[in-house]
Amino acid sequence: MIEKIEMEKCTGCGICDIVCPADVIHMEPAPETNRVAGLRLSNLAPVIKFREHCITCFNCEIFCPEKIVDVHPSVKNRPRPW
Amino acid sequence: MPQFNGIHTQTDILVVGAGAGGLLAALSAKRNGSRGTRVTLVDSWMIGRTGHTAFSNGWMIVACPEDNIDAITREIVAGNDGIADQVLVRKSLEASFERLRDFEGIGMTFARDPEGSYVRRPTRGLDVARVLHPDGGGLQFCWLLRRALETEGVQLIDRLFITGLMRGDDGRIVGATGINSRSGEFHVISARSTVVCTNALTFRSGFVRDITGTGTLLAYGAGAALRNAEFSYVRPGTPSFYFEGITFAIQEGARFVNGKGEKFMREYEPIWGDESDVPRIARAMALEKKAGHEPLYLDMSGVPEHMREYFVRSKVKWMDYFFRKLGSEARTDMFGKTPYFALNQMTKMGVRTGSDCRSDVPGLLAAGLAQAGCANHFAGFHIGLCIGNGWISGQSAVEDLDRTPAPRVDPAVVQRLYDEALQPLTENAQAESDRILRELQQVMFAYDVGILKQADRLEAARARVANLADRFAEIGAPHVHELVRLKETEAMLMAARLILGASLYRTESRLSHFREDYEERDDANWLCWVDLTDCGGEPTYAKTPIPMPYCGASLPDRRPTRLRKQYATGAV
Repeated sequence: MIEKIEMEKCTGCGICDIVCPADVIHMEPAPETNRVAGLRLSNLAPVIKFREHCITCFNCEIFCPEKIVDVHPSVKNRPRPW
Repeated sequence: MPQFNGIHTQTDILVVGAGAGGLLAALSAKRNGSRGTRVTLVDSWMIGRTGHTAFSNGWMIVACPEDNIDAITREIVAGNDGIADQVLVRKSLEASFERLRDFEGIGMTFARDPEGSYVRRPTRGLDVARVLHPDGGGLQFCWLLRRALETEGVQLIDRLFITGLMRGDDGRIVGATGINSRSGEFHVISARSTVVCTNALTFRSGFVRDITGTGTLLAYGAGAALRNAEFSYVRPGTPSFYFEGITFAIQEGARFVNGKGEKFMREYEPIWGDESDVPRIARAMALEKKAGHEPLYLDMSGVPEHMREYFVRSKVKWMDYFFRKLGSEARTDMFGKTPYFALNQMTKMGVRTGSDCRSDVPGLLAAGLAQAGCANHFAGFHIGLCIGNGWISGQSAVEDLDRTPAPRVDPAVVQRLYDEALQPLTENAQAESDRILRELQQVMFAYDVGILKQADRLEAARARVANLADRFAEIGAPHVHELVRLKETEAMLMAARLILGASLYRTESRLSHFREDYEERDDANWLCWVDLTDCGGEPTYAKTPIPMPYCGASLPDRRPTRLRKQYATGAV
C-alpha cells in the first residue's frame, strides 16, 4: 500500500493522481505552508485519500518524476484465500 | 435532452475498456474504417497506464509462419475440453503474426536470440504453442498502443466509468452513458456500434491484476446472452506476494508439494503433472486441502541456483518494484516455505457472440475477456485471444457502419440511465460496499464452492448471495469514489448469482467446473455451452451446441513432447 509522499519535494504535477487505477490519490488545493517557491507546477498537492483501496501497483512511485512516492509491498488489505 | 449538466459526444464506433481487447478494437476500427470514421475509446482510469493488461507481463501466443496452426488450434480446443469458439481461436492465431508486425510497427520490441529469431517459450498445458512478450511487459504494450491510437486520431477519454448502455426504440444499442470516475460528471456517448471490452469480472481477490469489469453485466441487462459463467480462473498463488512466473519456474524444476512433503500433481494429472494448466492444478490443490494435506507449497528447490535471480527480478515493472522492496524477504518467500492457495482471479463469463464478435443485440459487440471465446486461456492466450477478438470486433463494427442508421438517442432513456447512475449518491450515506464485498468474497472464494462444487453447497451459497443482495439494495454512496465501487460490487453480486446458477445447471465436471456430485465429464450431454439470458429479472439457462469445424473436443495423445530445455536464462 502507498505509505507516503515527500510533500516538501512535491512539485504538484499530478502524475501520481492521473496514473492511479484505484482513485487513491487526489490532487487538492495545497496548504500555503506546503508551497515551495519556484518549484511548484500548480497550487495543488496530492492527498492520499483512499489508502485502504490501494492495489499496490506502484504506478504512482514508478511514474513520479521526483521519485518521492513510497509504496510498501504490504498485503494487509488482501482478502482471505479460500 | 433531459435537464442536467453533462457532456454529449457523438461517434461512429465506441469502444469501452482499454485493455488488450479494447486497444486492438479501436486500432482495428480506425485502420479498417474509411477515412473519417470516428472511433472513441473510453476507460474508467488512464488508458495505457492502468488495467489488467497493463499490469500483466504481456505474454501472448503468436503463431509464426513456421508454426502449425492446425496443431495449435487442436491443442487449445482440447485444453478447453471443447468449450471454445474454434473459428475465433483459429482466426486469432492466423492473424497473430500480422498483429506482431503491427506492434513492431508502432515501436514495440520483442526479445530475439543472437541469430535474430524471436525468443519463444512453451506454456503450461500446451505443447506446440509458443509465447513471446513485448519488452517492458504489459505497461509498455498498452502505452505504445495508446500513443498509436492518438496518432491515428482515435478520441481517447480517460476516467469515464460506463454505467449504462443506451437502447434505441428499435432495440439497437446506440451508445453508452457513464460518469467521470472522479467528478461524477455525466457523459452521453451516442454511437452506431458499441464494443464492450471491459475485462472478465473479478471479485477483487486482492492482486493488482484483479481490476474488475462491469461491461458484461451491462450487456446482460441490455439483452445480450452470457456464457461460460460456470468456469473460472483460479490460480495457484500466495497472498504474501505475487509470483507471475510460476509457469516458467515449473519448467525449470519447481514442484507443488503438500504438508507431508509429497509431490502431489502426478497423482491427479499423470501425464502433465506440475505442467498442467491452471484449472487442473487448482482442482488438485483443492482436493489436497480437502484431504487435510495443507499447507501446500511450491517447492522451488528444484530451480537451479543460477536461475533464481531471474524469478526474483521480474520483467513486469510493478513486480520488479515489489520484489526489490521486499528485499531478502522476497527471496525467503519465494525460495523458502510460503503456503500456497488456489486463488480466485476471475470468472470466465463473457458475452455470447458469434466468431465475428457481434452479440445478439444489434449495435453491441464484445471483445477481450468480456467476450466468451474460450473457457480456458492458458498463460499467453488471455492476451493472445484478446488481440485476436479485439481486431475482429473492430472489423465487424466497421462493416456494420454502412448498414446502420445514425443513432437516435431517446431523452427518456438517457434520463433513466442518469437517474440509475447517480441515484445511490447520498451525502449522508456510509461507504459500506466493502463490507458486502468481503462477505461475498468469503462465499465465492471458499474452496468447496469456487472449486469443488456440489448442489447443496451451491444452493447454500446462492442463498447467502441473495441475502447480501438484499442488504446491498439499502446502501448508498457518499461520494463518487464509493459510487464507482458500489456499482462494481453490484455487478459482482449479479455475477455471483449467475455463476452459482450456471454451476448448478451443468451437471458434469469439466475444466474448472468440478462437481463432486457429478464427477465425470459427460460429452454426450454436456459438450455444449451454457448460455444465460435475462428473462424479466430472472436468469434462464440453456444449452447451445458448439460448432466444431476444425477438430473434436479431445486430443487423446496430448502430452508435453517439447524438449525439456532450460529457457529462463536466455534473452527472455
